[in-house]
Amino acid sequence: MKKTFALLLTLVMVFGLVASMPAYADDEIIINFPSIWVGTDSKAAYMSKMIEDFNAENAGKIKVVVEEQTDYQAYRDKIRTTITTGNAPDLCVLDTTFDIKAYAESGKFMDLTPYLNEGWGENFTDGAFDAWSVDGKVSILPFEAAVFPLVYNVEILKAAGWDHFPATYDEFFQMCKDVKAAGFNAMGQMAGDNAWSSMLWYSLIVEAIGGKDVYADGLDNPAFVEAAKVLKEMYNYTFDGAVSATASDVNGHFIARDTAVYLNGPWWIANLYKDDNAVDGVKLADVCDVATNPVYEGGKGDGKGLVTTVQGFLAAAKQDDPAKEAAVVKFLQYISDPERVSEWALSSGAMFFIKYTPSPETSLISQKFTEISNNASYTILHVNGAFPTAFSTEFPAAVSALVLNQIDEEGFVDQLQTAIELAE
Amino acid sequence: MKLERSDRGPLIAFLLPAIVVMVIFFIIPVIYVVVVSFLKWNGISAPIARGFKNYLLLYKDKAFTRSVINNVIWALVAGFIQVPLAMVMAIILSRKPKGWKFFRTVYFFPQVISGIALATLWRAIYSADTGLLNGLLRAVGLGHLARDWLGTIETAFPAVLIYWVFYIGYYMVIMMADITTIDSSYYEAAVIDGATDFQQAIYITIPLIKNTSLLTCITLASVMGLRQFEQVYMLTNGQPANTTSTIVLYMYKKMQDTNYGVASASAVVLIIVGVIFIVCIRKLFEGRSEQAKQLRALKKARRAVK
Repeated sequence: MKKTFALLLTLVMVFGLVASMPAYADDEIIINFPSIWVGTDSKAAYMSKMIEDFNAENAGKIKVVVEEQTDYQAYRDKIRTTITTGNAPDLCVLDTTFDIKAYAESGKFMDLTPYLNEGWGENFTDGAFDAWSVDGKVSILPFEAAVFPLVYNVEILKAAGWDHFPATYDEFFQMCKDVKAAGFNAMGQMAGDNAWSSMLWYSLIVEAIGGKDVYADGLDNPAFVEAAKVLKEMYNYTFDGAVSATASDVNGHFIARDTAVYLNGPWWIANLYKDDNAVDGVKLADVCDVATNPVYEGGKGDGKGLVTTVQGFLAAAKQDDPAKEAAVVKFLQYISDPERVSEWALSSGAMFFIKYTPSPETSLISQKFTEISNNASYTILHVNGAFPTAFSTEFPAAVSALVLNQIDEEGFVDQLQTAIELAE
Repeated sequence: MKLERSDRGPLIAFLLPAIVVMVIFFIIPVIYVVVVSFLKWNGISAPIARGFKNYLLLYKDKAFTRSVINNVIWALVAGFIQVPLAMVMAIILSRKPKGWKFFRTVYFFPQVISGIALATLWRAIYSADTGLLNGLLRAVGLGHLARDWLGTIETAFPAVLIYWVFYIGYYMVIMMADITTIDSSYYEAAVIDGATDFQQAIYITIPLIKNTSLLTCITLASVMGLRQFEQVYMLTNGQPANTTSTIVLYMYKKMQDTNYGVASASAVVLIIVGVIFIVCIRKLFEGRSEQAKQLRALKKARRAVK
């Protein structure tokens, strides 16, 4: 009896194992796509729909297989490791702006130039490839764009006696004092995790002080020291525990409506419209407005300069099989089709380096982001994108040391500079 | 013992699989890491030899120095606070007081929860504005002591370290298993001689587990302390101001920077620190083992007299 049971159990397990293995047609081309646009990412739902539709349209010929990865850092680690070990995935998303050229020069990715020259390139915004092509060849596509205007809670500003958003940093700090006096936090800062919010605030201040050419001299530009002073001052007007806080703390405070100003990319806009974040039926977006970076007195910024970045690049591994190369390009062309991108932008709030007509249903906040983007007199990358990865790795340590008076503003910039030099 | 020639064949046959696995999965990777530690390599471009420069950079980097110090503190705390705590509990529970099974389960329970989950839990407990700890302090009128535990230079590292010290279940269970193998006649003889529970623990239990489970636990705990990563990564990511960083976290960050040469150099330093620790622990216990030998000889003699 026991033997029969054991045999049955073994058979069931073997059958289960075999049944769970994916079955592909012999001549079906499989495109492996480790994707970060999954889970709770605002782009996930439409991305999933596009993949489903693409697979259905190409049933038996091409199949895109998504490997889900929801953690950005783990995703970066995985992709970097696969590229390093010569096993770059068929398709992946890259976001470490400073390393893109090195990846493009590595020769491990597919040269997309011939396909782009056949007309596909017309779908992309003008000059999109200028900064990322190597010897005139495009192997990595700038795809998801990000701009960083300020989103503010109109009701909190009103409660603090402000009926408009400050136009200068002097006014901004007066507003911070008033908001704090009214029992709210002026803005969310975080030095924990990757210090994302503080990094963005620092980028805005650097832009306001140093203007469009602020990165020309690297960290030697005095704007970086001056901006560190301003950033440190901002920590007086944020919530308790900002030194150890993470993005979820910053987001949580803004959603809880105890923080006046929020700074993040367009992918976060969808959260403003979520019913889960509504209070008494009033969506967060209904009490929010969008503003540009204030002008810094004596600074080189003109109030219309915009901090931006390429939030996501698409890259495809070099293929030996021409049929597979064609299949990967077909999928890339499918997801960068202007009509689909328009719907994608509508559903997610994200922005893309694709020329598309925004849907009339585009949210008001998204429209304002686009308007600010279109009216920008110039753009600069955020500091993480403008400097080597060692800068962003060191930034949380430098910010926390600055805020906790372990170093002064010069020491802050020195620490970042040293980190970059160590990596060279 | 000298091996007979005829025994060598089977011996080699039995050892070979283990040796092959060891060479493939340990020796070769270690050699690879050592080689990369002398290179400048971003994982994409061709590597460039740079001699000892990566080690020089480590020496100059305050964050790395801080990481080494933190790891040494961690390993010492693990070996000489966490394990002795586990030993005390093992000795108490081995005497099977009322509810010992319940307490054994309670102490062991955290071992079945992932370090990431525990770190997340403690992150919530330490949170400055919504944390349980600060809430508790405020509730009992000690609100002035409330602070950003993980965001203050003075408290961040102790906060990361202190909760972990009390997770003693793993070592406790190992030592309990060892204690149960001690011959009960020793304790019976000690009771007849009028020895208290404390004296029995000091003069019988500890000497008899010292060179077996206690040494194993101290070695294991110290090594675990040296390779701390996930708790620190989840709780503080090495902040504030790198005060909670560890060597493995430092190494991870250098890999994020695609600076594989420096990352490998820090891995080599970790291996060296680990070897130094293990040798020191062995030496420490070797020095004392003579006493254990004498004790065993004494017991043997007493048994013979009886």
